[in-house]
Amino acid sequence: MSEVTVPAAQRAPEAESVSPGRWVRENLFSSVSNAIQTMFFSLVLLGLLRWVLGQIFSEEANWTSVATNMRLLFTYNYPTEQFVRIWFAAGALFLAVGASFAAWNLNPMVTVRRVGVALAGTGAVSLVVGLIAPDTTPSAVRTGFFVVGIGLVALALAVLKVVPEPHRRQIPFIGLLAGVAGVICGVLWFFPFGDYGFADGAPTAESGTIDSSTSLPVTVMFLIMIGTYLAGRALARMIDLGWLRRTMIGWWVIGPAFIVFLVLRDPEFDWGYVLAVDVPMGAAFALGGGALLYLLAKPSRSELARVIGALLVALALFHWVAAFFGWYPMLQKARFSFALIAVAALLAPTFAGERAARLRFAGGWFGFMVLFHWLLTGINTPSTLDIAAPPFLGGFVLTVSIAYYVMLASFPLGVLLSLARTSKMPIFRVLATTYIEVVRGVPLITVLFFFSIMLPLFLPGGMGISDLAAVFAGYTVFSAAYMAENIRGGLQSVRRGQYEAADALGLTTVQRTAFIVLPQALRVSIPNLVGQAIATFKETSLIAIVGGFDLLRIANSTIPNQPDFLGQKRPALFFISLVYFVVAYSMSRASRNLEERLQAGQAR
Amino acid sequence: MIRSTTRWQRTAGALAALALVVGACGGDDDTAADEPAAADEPAAADEPAAADEPAAADEPAAADEPADEVEATQGGGILDAVKARGVLNCGVSGAAVAFSYTDADGSMNGIDADYCRAVAAAVLGDATAVEFTSLTAAERFTAVQTGAVDVLMRNSTWTQSRDTEVGMDFGPTTYYDGQQLMGRASDGFTSASPVSDIDGAIVCTNAGTTTETNISELAAELGLAITLNTFEDYDQVTDAFIAGTCDVITTDGSGLVGRKAVQEPEGETWVIFPATPISKEPLGPVYAQNDSQWADVVNWTVYATLIADENGVTSADADAALAGDFGAEMQRLMGGEGEKQTFMGLDADAFYNVVSQVGNYQEIWDANLAPVGLVREGSANALWTDGGLMYPPPAR
Repeated sequence: MSEVTVPAAQRAPEAESVSPGRWVRENLFSSVSNAIQTMFFSLVLLGLLRWVLGQIFSEEANWTSVATNMRLLFTYNYPTEQFVRIWFAAGALFLAVGASFAAWNLNPMVTVRRVGVALAGTGAVSLVVGLIAPDTTPSAVRTGFFVVGIGLVALALAVLKVVPEPHRRQIPFIGLLAGVAGVICGVLWFFPFGDYGFADGAPTAESGTIDSSTSLPVTVMFLIMIGTYLAGRALARMIDLGWLRRTMIGWWVIGPAFIVFLVLRDPEFDWGYVLAVDVPMGAAFALGGGALLYLLAKPSRSELARVIGALLVALALFHWVAAFFGWYPMLQKARFSFALIAVAALLAPTFAGERAARLRFAGGWFGFMVLFHWLLTGINTPSTLDIAAPPFLGGFVLTVSIAYYVMLASFPLGVLLSLARTSKMPIFRVLATTYIEVVRGVPLITVLFFFSIMLPLFLPGGMGISDLAAVFAGYTVFSAAYMAENIRGGLQSVRRGQYEAADALGLTTVQRTAFIVLPQALRVSIPNLVGQAIATFKETSLIAIVGGFDLLRIANSTIPNQPDFLGQKRPALFFISLVYFVVAYSMSRASRNLEERLQAGQAR
Repeated sequence: MIRSTTRWQRTAGALAALALVVGACGGDDDTAADEPAAADEPAAADEPAAADEPAAADEPAAADEPADEVEATQGGGILDAVKARGVLNCGVSGAAVAFSYTDADGSMNGIDADYCRAVAAAVLGDATAVEFTSLTAAERFTAVQTGAVDVLMRNSTWTQSRDTEVGMDFGPTTYYDGQQLMGRASDGFTSASPVSDIDGAIVCTNAGTTTETNISELAAELGLAITLNTFEDYDQVTDAFIAGTCDVITTDGSGLVGRKAVQEPEGETWVIFPATPISKEPLGPVYAQNDSQWADVVNWTVYATLIADENGVTSADADAALAGDFGAEMQRLMGGEGEKQTFMGLDADAFYNVVSQVGNYQEIWDANLAPVGLVREGSANALWTDGGLMYPPPAR
């Protein structure tokens, strides 16, 4: 789907320029009832806005509690000296975003007129806010709203006047992004928010700008993203774009693991054990398995592959039986690796083909094994299991990580479940249906309670599961069931003829599903999937109830219980609702762009 | 070319996410290696990876056993486990002002947090060797039973049912709390007002707590006609009181004092009454049942801070006390002679570390409870010599 690029010329042309007065007449006051509705809802809106402003600038709203607790809200008690890890992870993400924008040339053109209208709109809102702000508003703030509002409106009018044909002239989106980033950085560097901190058990407040330990990394993040985009575009002119895209796909697959490893890795990581046990074992499975699969994926060896696959399945099962009775010790991940190689061997005939195809198959296994062992090592070494004791991850970082990884993990699980549920094989269908219905019949909070509080009781002595892993597992189990239902809706929209055409081409079931049915089903499911992604993001606040320190718990119970800010809940709650809104709204906008791009290539 | 890209994109994406699932729930590979017998158990944690029927069928069987398991694993010595680990896992609230709250720099403070530090100082010689786990009210006792925390210092009231029905024991009380009421002086309330003065008033408290039960039981007993309004949490209760929706609010005395100190508006006087609380809320450490050695360690750590207080030994005087300047009992406690502490598995200077690194009870009080306006003199928390209830056994 991603290869569908739409030249701007093919899109619907932008509407003819309409004068603002005419637009208002035609849209807001076209009839008496319309005019009444416009007036009524404008008043309601203004009243609401004034109330919100009253909350923000009321005398008891003490924003010091939020400013002082910025660190808690964003990273909880993640050690300050380790912040570089979070910034590094964020940098890696921004870099990947910039490079992906370059690789797929995600740079929609925006007309000057749209930019002008957006600027004027923002300016007008700022003016209105200045006008209706309650009396408690500091006069400097009110003046600030007026200045910004008049400035923006003037700028917009100037731009629309100076640029000829503003509805035709286009500027690249990335340019706008750079402009916005510049404004954000400028505000961070030069606006006198004041420097709030905490030292020796008491909040400190100094006038001035925000500490450079915040503004500097943020600036670097934006520079990285835009720089990578420009470098990527330059590179794309020189080399094969396909290569760049494959590299980026590879990064998005390995990147999350990289970030987990970076952010969650315990400072006291046991490198000796990793080098002596984990690395050789991972390498052995990756190389040995790759070689085996390369040999088995020859079309003439299909029978042999099935026999060997069956033997490996038996061996893998035997390992579990042996572990159950305690006959010999074997690492859990070795047992998993055996099971996976067995499945891969059974799949070998499906991927059989020319030398290049076999190499890709073996290479894919190699990459997967490296990733698999890396993840298990990064997340589950004994030293990292003890992360359970301190919350370690909290605040915005926790909210985002849980949401991100739950979405990432529940997506394939959901795809598998939906396929199983629509399968012709009764056993899969019944199992998948039972799973989905049972999980959907239980509230998320119950699932989370089960995983975080009940599960440790069932585990044998000496074994633990970190809170984070328990919440993650529970949430994934829950989310996958909903994901499966969303995707099933998509699957049902794929027409019968598509299946028949695939069968007529002689594709196997796996090929038909992977290359014909799923791509179409997933495209249809995008709005629902994004809707669920947003829900997943917001519902992370439930992990507060099972002990996670997410944004909500910090704002709702940690900050109001500090002696300096006892009972001050409202400012923090306002602040976090803003954070939730910004993230959720960005996701929703991004999904609309994605839909447009995908829809454009599909003329039905 | 493009086609193969998409194919690999999907395959690799699916595999990577599978790896994530398994990675997060795969259990502990390395402990499994040491304990083959336990190796089958991660199956419970693996179930999301299996993606099929949840393993519900075999879970209930396991559910019958946890009690035995807990005793089997924890009877063998939390003390040794803590020493081997080098760090104390301490359960706290993290959101209870003066008891344990998280400061803006992420540090844990309060009397409960300080008693965690005291236990760490006694066992490990280092008051900073604590990892705090912030627990909700729902999680706290499970955390003790599963061994997720070695000791729980989470302003938990010692009650008969908690002590006897759930697998845990209670240590000596570190703070005697009790439910009281708070009203406005302008409504005629004084600190000497009896409970019967609230007849006809709108009383507010937070829902689903023993506080709610206590006040309604008391009102029924005394035949008082009160309107009980309950709110989700205590911030809302206080907000409603400030707004005038409630005439009287009620919760533990320590909470009321804190609210009065910080939130009392100008020109208004809030009074806390009656002088004798309407309920008993002894708060102290909680630990797993049937580990006497660990119980001794925690209990005597608390006693040590009280004995030091009796003898007037502050953290600055610890060296002098060790030298014998504060009498024989203090010298014994500090490990100066006889080394009483080694019998319970601690170093001889264990309590010297407690007093020098954390301080005596009065110092802990001054650091945490005094700032929110709690007064020790004349309360149940004064030493027995001053008419209070703090009566540590002698160190000899």
